[in-house]
Amino acid sequence: MALLLFIYLSVGAFIGISLYKAYTYAKMPLHGRWELYPVPKEAGERGHYGGSYYEELEWWKKPRKISHVGEIKEMLKEMIFIKNLFVNQKRQWWLSYSLHLGIYLVGLWTILLLTGALLELSGTPVAASQQTSNSAFMVSFIYYATIFSGLVGAALLTIGSGGLFIKRLVNNTFSRYTTPQEYLNLLFLCAVSVSGLVVWAGDPAFNYGREVLKGLLTFSPIHAGTALTVHILLLGALLIYIPQTKMSHYVGKYFAFHKVLWENEPNIPNSKMEQKVKENLSYKPKTSWSAPHINPGAMASEEK
Amino acid sequence: MANVKPEDMGKPSEYIARPEELMPLPAPYDKPGMEPEFKPIKDSWKEDFCTSLDGFVGNDTLSRPKTKEEEQEMIKKFLSGLDKLFSDETNRGYLQPLTLSFEYCAKCNTCSEACHTFKASGETEIYRPIFRSEVLRKIYRKHKNGDSLLNRFVGGDIDINIETIMRLGELAYRCNLCRRCAQTCPLGLDNGLLAREIRKIFSMEMGIAPKPLHEKGTINQLRTGSSTGLNKAALLDVIEFIEEDIYDKTGKEYKIPIDKKGADILLTHNAGEFLAWPENPAAFAIIFEEAGLNWTLSSEMIGYDNVNYGIFYDDAQAKKIGLEQFKAARDLGVRKIVIGECGHAHKAATVSMDRNVAGPDNIPRESFLPLLHEIIKKKAIKQDPSRNNFPVTLHDPCNMARMMGLIMPQREIIKTICPQFREMTPNGAKNYCCGGGSGFAIMNSFNFPEFRNKISSRMKFKQILNAFQDTIEDPEIPKYVCAPCSNCKGAIRDILDYYETTAKFNVHYGGLVELVVNAMPQFERPFLDFLDEEAGMM
Repeated sequence: MALLLFIYLSVGAFIGISLYKAYTYAKMPLHGRWELYPVPKEAGERGHYGGSYYEELEWWKKPRKISHVGEIKEMLKEMIFIKNLFVNQKRQWWLSYSLHLGIYLVGLWTILLLTGALLELSGTPVAASQQTSNSAFMVSFIYYATIFSGLVGAALLTIGSGGLFIKRLVNNTFSRYTTPQEYLNLLFLCAVSVSGLVVWAGDPAFNYGREVLKGLLTFSPIHAGTALTVHILLLGALLIYIPQTKMSHYVGKYFAFHKVLWENEPNIPNSKMEQKVKENLSYKPKTSWSAPHINPGAMASEEK
Repeated sequence: MANVKPEDMGKPSEYIARPEELMPLPAPYDKPGMEPEFKPIKDSWKEDFCTSLDGFVGNDTLSRPKTKEEEQEMIKKFLSGLDKLFSDETNRGYLQPLTLSFEYCAKCNTCSEACHTFKASGETEIYRPIFRSEVLRKIYRKHKNGDSLLNRFVGGDIDINIETIMRLGELAYRCNLCRRCAQTCPLGLDNGLLAREIRKIFSMEMGIAPKPLHEKGTINQLRTGSSTGLNKAALLDVIEFIEEDIYDKTGKEYKIPIDKKGADILLTHNAGEFLAWPENPAAFAIIFEEAGLNWTLSSEMIGYDNVNYGIFYDDAQAKKIGLEQFKAARDLGVRKIVIGECGHAHKAATVSMDRNVAGPDNIPRESFLPLLHEIIKKKAIKQDPSRNNFPVTLHDPCNMARMMGLIMPQREIIKTICPQFREMTPNGAKNYCCGGGSGFAIMNSFNFPEFRNKISSRMKFKQILNAFQDTIEDPEIPKYVCAPCSNCKGAIRDILDYYETTAKFNVHYGGLVELVVNAMPQFERPFLDFLDEEAGMM
């Protein structure tokens, strides 16, 4: 039962702390414009070559053309393929992408396990089937897709995290900038994926995974051997740890692109932005910077 | 110091790093003796300023404290400023971008490959974009969490001593804030922003900023009306001189409108143009008059100088100047402000100040480029491209291209009027900085010009040479680098002079409007002096 509660706690902590981080960024004051082109939501070719509405004569009189499709496309390229790293540093991309693709596949694996657990709870065992009906085909698909995503995901995650760990250790430039915690982060990811592979070696169809999820769905105790217990403890600890570190860049990246680099909303009279600007300008800070040209009084009072 | 690391910033040594094997330059600068060597550093500089970073002094008000008490006071102030950076009371305008860039760097080093200074310096470690950022992170962690084992584990392993602070104060001025690195960051983080935030601590909390930017820059501008010290009376004299000069060159009398109430357009220039490149405001005047625009210049306080150096180092100064500029436009009752050939003034007026103003002072602001494009496209002035029949390349000012998205109008114009136009590589939003960005173009104290000419402008020089490889060694053929920005022109002027490229290879520089006027067939004499035999004889 303790193991079950620990899993609830770790999943809850992962979601809760991640949301809290997002909330913290979202409630920060309106920042000064700091966009950087190309801004993909600029419509048409501009989104590609780096142009903006400032290329138009009297731009404030023209309707704003925003391409949400362009923005989503660029966002997906970055999320799914880590495009910027691929374009600008391919050597690093292979390992980094292996790690990230591994995580995505493990995420897919979790969804498939959940689907399988629900099926089994409704009385349909998840196993390879010789039958040709649509439902049997779907069950077989879930069965094999779970094996594929779990195994390939864990393998890629192991290669990516282990490879990046070794690269950071042996590459003179990388090692100069890597803190002990950053080594730990990679080792932690690697340990979780390796422990998962050890458990898988004893149950190649991931039946244990469906059992765990069934336990979570029905609030029933989980029966776990030593290897599975170690794996669950490590994975749970990782889920609690990730959002408290910079590995939570899945939160930061959204804000960095959407709310800073791609945020070029102009302050036009009578616009929503003008309202926000007015509210922001009406704020009276309680403290100030101390340099003489900003706050001559601060220097004088310090000298007294 | 070999294999330097961020935590070495506080360790005693003559230099943390000194650039040695610089990036090779293309022909004809690939031969020995074509490039001046670094000059020795004077001992007096070492005693009074911070030469212990890389041997250059850029921050000329960053004086070494004389006593232990002064040292402690300086460290204390720095740390107090550091706290203020992360406060939503004192740094509201940049808290979110700062925190994101501060928290999430994965140290993948993608940014290093994008940085012209790092690459041009032969990959000198301290110029790596994340080096400076990592020093800041370590200081912050140490400051907040002390010297515990746990803190060292998360990267707080640095000595916060006077050497660390002094070196960081210099290192903040080894980045042009061009933000090319941020374009390549897979996480959307910005080392340029962090460099600027460090500058803010020094200026806004400690009162330390390079004199050309602060004392002779923003302070001077708020006092006299211009960062050049040009006051109203002197401005009116200069404008009279420009009118006479236009008459000498074109044979036509133009009256430059000043303080014309209710004009459609307030045209603003970097006041440096009036003094260093008067042909630029002259060309604007000719084009605007010939196109029949209803425009004016302002002679009121700050209204005639669109410079805003505050955006390079100090939010408070930036805001004061920006608002004064808008007020000058409002007082004149103009419909819009059109910004002339100054990159950072473009960004300051349209982007940086955009969320600092509301109500009647929020006057529409736009670049001169779409307007000029419209004039050329509609043939409001007659153009003869054969008058510009020499190799021309175009420099994209970072503040216009990367930070405002102004890419196509200047290309459309230049392709129309310059038959031998060729692009630099890379260009547009992916351009390289001229090396003079963020104030470097006007920072000439001590040996800083050497840093600029040999390192920060080196990539731009390489691009220029590459753009003209077909004709570079033929001094009979004039070549023109079009740089529609005052600071960029200043940096390019200096490299062409430093490497004797104008004298030896007939490479010239200037703005875009000068090319437009040069292509006007109604004038007999060329507008560009290097084409004008008559001007050469004067």
